[in-house]
Amino acid sequence: MTKQDKGHRIAIDVGGTFVDFVLLDESTGEITLEKQPSTPAHIVEEVGTGLGRLPVDLADVDKIFHGTTVALNTIVQEKGVKVGLLTTVGFRDVLEIGRGSRPEIYNPRYTAPVCLVPRYLRHEIPGRLSANGEEVIPLDLDVVEARSKELVEAGCKAIAICFLHSYSNHEHERRVAERVRQLHPSIAVAASHELIGEWREFERTSTTVLNAYVQPQFENYMKKLSERLQADGYSSPLAMMQSNGGVVAASRAATRPVMTLESGPAGGVIGAEALSSETGLKNLICFDVGGTTVDVALIDDGEIIERSQSKVAGRPVMGPTIDISSVGAGGGSIAWIDHRGALRVGPQSAGASPGPACFGHGGTELTVTDCHLLLGRLDAETFLGSRMKLDMQAAEKAMKNLADKIGLSVEETASGVLKIAGTNMTNAIRSITVERGLDPRDYSLLSYGGGGGLFAAAVSDELDVKSVIVPRAPANFSAWGIVTSDYREDSSHTYVSPLIAETLPQILDVLASLKKENLERLQEHGFDSEAIQSDMRADVRYAGQEFTVTVAIDEKWTTKQEELLQGVRERFVELHRRLYGHGEAAKAHSTRDTYFSVLGKTSTIPVFNRDDLVCDQEISGPAIVEEWTTTTVIPPNWNLVVDRIGNLILTQSS
Amino acid sequence: MSKPDIITAEVIRNGIIAAAQEMGTTLVRTAYNPLLYDVQDYGLAIVSAECETWAEAPGMIVFVGALPHTVGSGIDVHGIEGFAEGDVIIANDPYTTGNHISDVSIYMPVFYDGKLLAFTASVAHWADVGGKTPGGWCPDSVDVYQEGICFAHEKVVAAGDEVQGLWGVIRSNTRYPDIVIGDMRAQIASCRQGAERLQKLCSKYGFDTVRDSMNLAIESTEKDTRRHIRDIPNGTYDAEQMMDHDGVVAAVPFPIKLQLRVEDEEIHVSFAGTSETRAGPVNAPEYAVRSVVRAAIKGVISPIEPSNEGDFKPIIFDIPPGLVISPQRPAPVDSYGYVCIAAYELCVRAMSKAIPERCIAGGATLCMPTISRFDPREGRPFILSDPFDVGNGARPNADAPTMSINVMGDVPNSPVEVVEMRYPLRIERFGLRNEVAGHGEYRGGAGIYRDYRVLEDGVTLFSALENTRETLAEGADSGGDGGPAQV
Repeated sequence: MTKQDKGHRIAIDVGGTFVDFVLLDESTGEITLEKQPSTPAHIVEEVGTGLGRLPVDLADVDKIFHGTTVALNTIVQEKGVKVGLLTTVGFRDVLEIGRGSRPEIYNPRYTAPVCLVPRYLRHEIPGRLSANGEEVIPLDLDVVEARSKELVEAGCKAIAICFLHSYSNHEHERRVAERVRQLHPSIAVAASHELIGEWREFERTSTTVLNAYVQPQFENYMKKLSERLQADGYSSPLAMMQSNGGVVAASRAATRPVMTLESGPAGGVIGAEALSSETGLKNLICFDVGGTTVDVALIDDGEIIERSQSKVAGRPVMGPTIDISSVGAGGGSIAWIDHRGALRVGPQSAGASPGPACFGHGGTELTVTDCHLLLGRLDAETFLGSRMKLDMQAAEKAMKNLADKIGLSVEETASGVLKIAGTNMTNAIRSITVERGLDPRDYSLLSYGGGGGLFAAAVSDELDVKSVIVPRAPANFSAWGIVTSDYREDSSHTYVSPLIAETLPQILDVLASLKKENLERLQEHGFDSEAIQSDMRADVRYAGQEFTVTVAIDEKWTTKQEELLQGVRERFVELHRRLYGHGEAAKAHSTRDTYFSVLGKTSTIPVFNRDDLVCDQEISGPAIVEEWTTTTVIPPNWNLVVDRIGNLILTQSS
Repeated sequence: MSKPDIITAEVIRNGIIAAAQEMGTTLVRTAYNPLLYDVQDYGLAIVSAECETWAEAPGMIVFVGALPHTVGSGIDVHGIEGFAEGDVIIANDPYTTGNHISDVSIYMPVFYDGKLLAFTASVAHWADVGGKTPGGWCPDSVDVYQEGICFAHEKVVAAGDEVQGLWGVIRSNTRYPDIVIGDMRAQIASCRQGAERLQKLCSKYGFDTVRDSMNLAIESTEKDTRRHIRDIPNGTYDAEQMMDHDGVVAAVPFPIKLQLRVEDEEIHVSFAGTSETRAGPVNAPEYAVRSVVRAAIKGVISPIEPSNEGDFKPIIFDIPPGLVISPQRPAPVDSYGYVCIAAYELCVRAMSKAIPERCIAGGATLCMPTISRFDPREGRPFILSDPFDVGNGARPNADAPTMSINVMGDVPNSPVEVVEMRYPLRIERFGLRNEVAGHGEYRGGAGIYRDYRVLEDGVTLFSALENTRETLAEGADSGGDGGPAQV
């Protein structure tokens, strides 16, 4: 272990409603969660406040990972800077014409999102390449000089550069970018080839323009955040999550904000990939139910499914990104009666403010969360670990308005709203699998996000998916996923030995050689040996048992044999107790009246506290499992078992 | 009909809309022809056994609206008892499908428990169906026999078995057999995808509940449509347009006249004074014309909601046979698009006399060059149909964009980089043609410049033009007209 190692890492995931924090103590594997409301204008302060509540000094944190929606929000709210565009002669209107399609096929008044660069700020530069990258007309840099000057004088704070066929040969673009940066060092410059190397000029131009559009604010945010973290004692670079699930240094992300647009939801999928390799479940449907949307992604044969293009607020963005589909069906989704008198749910959401009626912040429309409360799936007293008391009366009032209109009982309306929301989610999952030629029945459903556990079993029923996994701390799973991402090299060596004084020298030899092997490999990647941290773990079991528990080994133990012997033993006994309990299954801490539509009635069902559950414990539905940030519903035809790493596994009973 | 509960009905309706969309996804994922996977020149629908639209996927609205008629014609041919599980039917006969001959419908009956529930149907623009003009769209054919091979609701798959003889006939009657057969398989896969989803819904909710839920959806949609129509003042609203010529008899313009009679909750559509069937291929099959008129009315009164038959039931047509909008076999129809587009625009123009605040001004007609090489001795054969975006009509409260014509629905243009990589062409300019935009308080959409340079031998570029004398893009509320297309 190097002297820089401080043994803690933190993930910060800024979402629309909350900023989620995960603190990982690497020596013990212990995880601490924190949440802070996310106020768009004061994100840096909110992050600082949340970090302050974590039980660690930032000086003792050696890595902070960050997923953010700052770039995304800037685009959605159209609050970016004035952008100018330099492009190939004959093609300055490509951005405005777009692909000319009409997604609302019947709507003669359909209009695409407004073009971010008006015509007078789009300039053409002589120079042309053929499709195979040969120069047809040479580049005229004098025109670049004149036009970029005009753009800057017109008040542009950023200049986007996108030339035809730059995916094939980017020489023209590179020279233009170089000249513009020379001439205007204070202007943000985005050249398409620096972001993506794919064909389709409109989509590439759109991506480049979006990057330029958010770049100044994003750089500013990164700078402020880094300063704040530094002032609070954090001394390493900040690592930014990208839409493709990889991390980059904040300094690099600052010039490529368009690559971070999906960085929040990406974290969850990274976590899912890690969980897939941990559990051996190769096929997972990632089911992330938030306040406004459900985000769906796939792990297929252990790998994350990606795509090369996505859309943000109706504008295309190219570049590898985790293939995440969103539908407007989350906890805040509003139930309403449409023009035909039919009951609909979403896509409008009550958002964080006013939020569902039961939040008591003045919301009057019935939402999905209100229905969960009314049916007894949520408890008014214990929501968010009792930090927030839900207002049953407000939910009842919102319900009455709607139930009266359609002439159904409260239970029927509430379970109907949940059924419609659930099938909207089901259809979204089916669509993403069909698009890939995959069959959802070959998958398990990994449920996370604040609302996942409330829908997971019902949605799986619809999809014929046989099992559901609810990881630990599901509401912070995205942040947990971010914390698991890093450059890393692993190696392991199977050497079975009793843990007694006589075998300690051989055990130490094995540890030393593993460490040396990895250090060399990482140094080949160009990492300075001082910057590399190594962690050692051993799989330990009681003599005669089959299953092992992974125990972290402190580096300092490796110099004193008796400390190693004692330390590993103590830690193993503690972990074993935590994982396998005292062998006695937890009892329900209470009961609650809950309505299930399959039973057609309200019944009194047991409610468990997740922290009480022990490994291998089985619970038959109907039941509810509560934890700080999530509630998991086990319907009547489902069973639950707790696996050896603490996941809840739900399976349909035959 | 028993009445399903409101929750189940909505769940089933959503499930069927999702099924139609999955059909679209499957078609795009498996198609061979860029017109399908890039340009989305197709239509998909789920149609009941009573030939009512249950749901559709985004695509060409003229196609989507014709599909229930196509299925109805198939029932006329085979009888409602004449379908077996596993049948797949092919049709492009213009007079019974409402398409020109290049747009080929593939549909299949969906059974559950031995009972016929519905049809899943698709229509897609094939790369070539023989005929005198590669890629179709003959500008000067004098009968349908010149336009390509015709299928009149034949079974290409009978009870699960491919009818080999017919597949051979198809293969040997197209200039691009591999693409065509590939696309036909994609259409079949798409219909099967939809069928499977319908059967799943039946096994979960029961045959009757699925059917009754969709009937309920149609009924409630119809009620809403009638409410909208009641808001339009009663009266007769008309519009007319002179077309340049029919492609065969040059320089003889002919009229299209449309009357909308709004009477309480119904709209009666007639075409009194419209030209007789023409000698050239501009004739538009009646089902295509009905489809665009229905789409125009829905577009004005309920533009966003996914459609079902309930959107169209209160629209009643009075169309005698033998007009340019109701040609009979063997009248040529291959350039039917111009009259269809005119019918759409006339319908909006007529409605704007009643409810101007919900209508848009006139938009430009189709301009779609076809660039091809089919003689392999000259080089690799290819065909590119390149539909242009056009100036749309100004909105009552905003300038108009430049995008695909209204009738086309969700049809994106072809990226220049893709065109130049695939074909021996260089596009030297792709930009807005502002000088032809209709002026006014709110401006009409600009036109498009697209300059092609042909880089190899044996390549022909062909494009027909219409409405160059009397523009279709008529201004509204004293706004200026848009200019015509030019080559």
